[in-house]
Amino acid sequence: MSDRIFGGIGLVLAIIYAWAAAGIQESFLTDEVGPKVFPWIIAVILGLSSVWFLLKPDPDPEWPSWGRIAEIGLAALVLAIYAEALPVFGFLLPTALASAYLTWRLGSRPLESVVIGVLTALGIYLIFRSLLGLSLPREGVELAIDAFFSTIGDLFGNEPAPATAPQGD
Amino acid sequence: MSFESIRRGMAAATVVVAAPFAGVAQDFTPDNPECIAPANPGGGWDFTCRQVGKSLQDAGLIPSTMQVVNLSGGGGGVAFAEVVNKRADDDDLIVAASSATATRLAQGAYPGNSMDQVRWLGSIGADYGVIAVAADSEIDTLPELLEQVQENPSEVNFGGGSAVGGWDHLKVLIAAQEAGVEDVRDVKYIAFAGGGEAVTQLLAGSLQAFTGDLSEAQGFVESGDIKVLAVLAPERLSGEFSEMPTAREQGIDAIGANWRGFYAPGDMSDAAYDYWVGQLDTLYDSDEWKAVMEANGLAPLDLHGAEFESFVAESVSNIENLSREIGILQ
Amino acid sequence: MELLGNLGDGFLIALTWENLFLALMGCFLGTIMGALPGLGPSNGVAILIPLAFTLGLGATPSLILLTSVYYGAMYGGRISSILLNIPGDEPAMMTCLDGYPMAQAGRAGEALALSGIASFVGAFFATWGLVLLAPQLVKVALLFGPAEYFALFTLAFATLGGIAATNQAKSAFAAALGLGLAMIGVDTQTGVPRLTFGEVHLYDGIDFLIAIVGLFALSEVFVFLEHRGTDRDISTKPPTAVGRIVPSWSLIRSCIPTMGRTTVLGFIAGVLPGAGASLGSFISYSMEKRLVDKDKTFGTGDPRGVAAPEAGNNAAAGGALVPMLALGVPGSGTTAVLLAVLLALNITPGPLLFTQNPDVVWGLIAALFIGNVMLLAMNIPMVGLFTRVLLVPPRILMPVVAMISFVGIYGISGSPFELLMMVGFGLLGWVLRKLDVPLVPVILGTLLGNEMEVNFRRAVEISNGDYSVLVGSPLAIGLWTVAIVGFVLPIVVGGRIKRRMHMARDEESAISD
Repeated sequence: MSDRIFGGIGLVLAIIYAWAAAGIQESFLTDEVGPKVFPWIIAVILGLSSVWFLLKPDPDPEWPSWGRIAEIGLAALVLAIYAEALPVFGFLLPTALASAYLTWRLGSRPLESVVIGVLTALGIYLIFRSLLGLSLPREGVELAIDAFFSTIGDLFGNEPAPATAPQGD
Repeated sequence: MSFESIRRGMAAATVVVAAPFAGVAQDFTPDNPECIAPANPGGGWDFTCRQVGKSLQDAGLIPSTMQVVNLSGGGGGVAFAEVVNKRADDDDLIVAASSATATRLAQGAYPGNSMDQVRWLGSIGADYGVIAVAADSEIDTLPELLEQVQENPSEVNFGGGSAVGGWDHLKVLIAAQEAGVEDVRDVKYIAFAGGGEAVTQLLAGSLQAFTGDLSEAQGFVESGDIKVLAVLAPERLSGEFSEMPTAREQGIDAIGANWRGFYAPGDMSDAAYDYWVGQLDTLYDSDEWKAVMEANGLAPLDLHGAEFESFVAESVSNIENLSREIGILQ
Repeated sequence: MELLGNLGDGFLIALTWENLFLALMGCFLGTIMGALPGLGPSNGVAILIPLAFTLGLGATPSLILLTSVYYGAMYGGRISSILLNIPGDEPAMMTCLDGYPMAQAGRAGEALALSGIASFVGAFFATWGLVLLAPQLVKVALLFGPAEYFALFTLAFATLGGIAATNQAKSAFAAALGLGLAMIGVDTQTGVPRLTFGEVHLYDGIDFLIAIVGLFALSEVFVFLEHRGTDRDISTKPPTAVGRIVPSWSLIRSCIPTMGRTTVLGFIAGVLPGAGASLGSFISYSMEKRLVDKDKTFGTGDPRGVAAPEAGNNAAAGGALVPMLALGVPGSGTTAVLLAVLLALNITPGPLLFTQNPDVVWGLIAALFIGNVMLLAMNIPMVGLFTRVLLVPPRILMPVVAMISFVGIYGISGSPFELLMMVGFGLLGWVLRKLDVPLVPVILGTLLGNEMEVNFRRAVEISNGDYSVLVGSPLAIGLWTVAIVGFVLPIVVGGRIKRRMHMARDEESAISD
């Protein structure tokens, strides 16, 4: 049954895709093939393979209970909020919260989760920012850490030039 | 104590421990100089930021390391929108730009944005366009090539490193237009991911002509694999490039320079704007920068402040007119 | 003889304490970058460019540092593939297929060591190929016009059926999905945006790194959330045994023919601009499977399935340096970054590089040899260290993996939009896994889709609408023949194999479920 539903969704997807491709605005300067042909070929393959498992479905996979699906959805939501929070609140706080949530849901005890979250955030920051110099969002705490490392860097001379990400203001 | 004051304090502390810099007293110095490269690491804009940042710091023109931020997407449109919408009054920020930025602005490829929403600081050099053919081609001059285009446009395939409607494409069209090709839309242009790839296909025989920047063609010219029919510069370039004829001297008045430079947020204070214009100007005049330009095949283009602003405005309106003419813009 | 003299000079340049230290540092950082999901070789190199500049290094030392990072990342990508079923970078995708089943069977140590050796073999002989054949190989690249490239990419998709043992229609669906995603963005051949729905963030297309990290790494987190507390929860099971660390000589010997063949194949794929390491490892794996997988053990933890893609992708990494140095044309994302570095260092790669800057070229080549030996020496003893990762309980490990994925993508793209897309890919990956749709073709589609379409359109455009140009050269016809044979053969002999496959279904690897 799952495969039939999946095939149905795939077919709808193929039709929507072909329709969206038909809506591609062509400019006066178009090549012999044009921008629509390849997407249409793809839509056909997408459609044909969907029809295939609509007609010849595999045995059903074992779907988790609704509770578990909600669990996954909630985790995805937390990660989405995390993505939006990064440029606003800096790196450490959102990362600590998000990883604390994940580790809690994966079976850590609440207090333990907080500790793991904080350590994860700090560890990643030190490796990616202080060692590899990747641009990460920075607010108060992050800038303090960077200032500390740049002081050490000056004492020893050479330190990779860190790059920074857009700040909240 | 707010985050802000902590941050300013930290920044000040960084300045104190950073290498002392010899600078003239100014009305403005950036606490946290930052350069946005509107593309992934490794691209042209990324290099503009990193190279200028490094040179400014080496010359003691900025008090601390230039932070380079990659903000990719939309061919620079994501960064442009970010600067306009969220960081319009940031005095510490500059953004890398090039002819591609002007082309996209002119063609409305940054939806809802226009060039007057930011302040244009200055150029750091230009890469002049070339039109070239394989060394064993029978064609020796630009008018010969364009004559062939006129007679039989489907037999001459131009290849270049930008998308259709992009700068490499437009350069050919400008030349064709000057040479009197009636409908420039007949000129065939095949887009490649980069100039090098297009040259390879020229050598492989898939293409008949190459349009790109001098720096992309340089290595192949020296090795004798391709011959440059014309440089799209106002006059002959200096040094080893002086042998290449300009389009102008062949009677085709086409000039195409891929300039590199910077813009700054639209509400940047005048003190900060003057500071950045001044530092870029000083950098441009230094011998160190001359060496960098030579290394990167950049030709002189010394425009700063208001001059640069009107230069960009002019090129945007030229590209807009041309794009309208050939139907890329409706 | 002159060649050896040049190489000797190269070693004289490369063998200074400073350069050796830089190579070591590059290898180490590269391995880490390669192993972390979200940071591939190209971003790894790009991120470390400021380091080279800040240290004020000259041309040769900078190149030594950055190419060590490049080679290191190619080595490193396999580590997370084998241990976590999450490819550290895109060429390591194929290593998951047999590497992870080996690790689950308690042979993680062997898989890591063997793949390290295979990487070494691939990279070592590819470097020799670079030394001996660079000028001649350039001519091979010139044989490939748009029509030949199109045939080559079609060949890659035609052999797809070989890699995933599941329902072939699902492979086709997955490939079409990936190709469909690749179409998003501004169309270079006409300059019009396609399927972007006016979203500026999509104009440049979807970065395949976002797709790969979402589909593999985040979906893995979701799988753990789904199974927590059930009988399929592996976090409550005793930690997987690591097994012996040094593979037996007979195991290595059994993989030698595989390594030899895939090194050659990967190297050629690397030499062709636009194909690159991912295609190298992909073709290596699917060809080996066709050739030696008599008992249908590929995909279930066959050591040859680990050796093949690793030798292939490291050979391709070496091969990609050929067009970069000899033509100034980058064959892959990473070489594009390296090319930019060369230009910044006042060196113009191209036909004359070997004569104009022999010190740079030969110093670089010598550094590649040194880096390779270092990587092998570093990787084998560190196998024990790497496998410790398996001892970390998943409830701690998986959040760390997820956060690292976010950091990697945020660091290069700088905006939350890409992160949201990645979360979307994570959910998609989870659903596809449930439905038994293989993920590898999705990635392959996003990776190669644009190149495939664009070359098709270039070929037809150049010939003014004459489609016969697609089979217009002996090389193109040859590639099409291989593609068709590769596609049809499994269907013809498929019936017999299918019956056997059904029996083996229960033991199928996690990646194909």
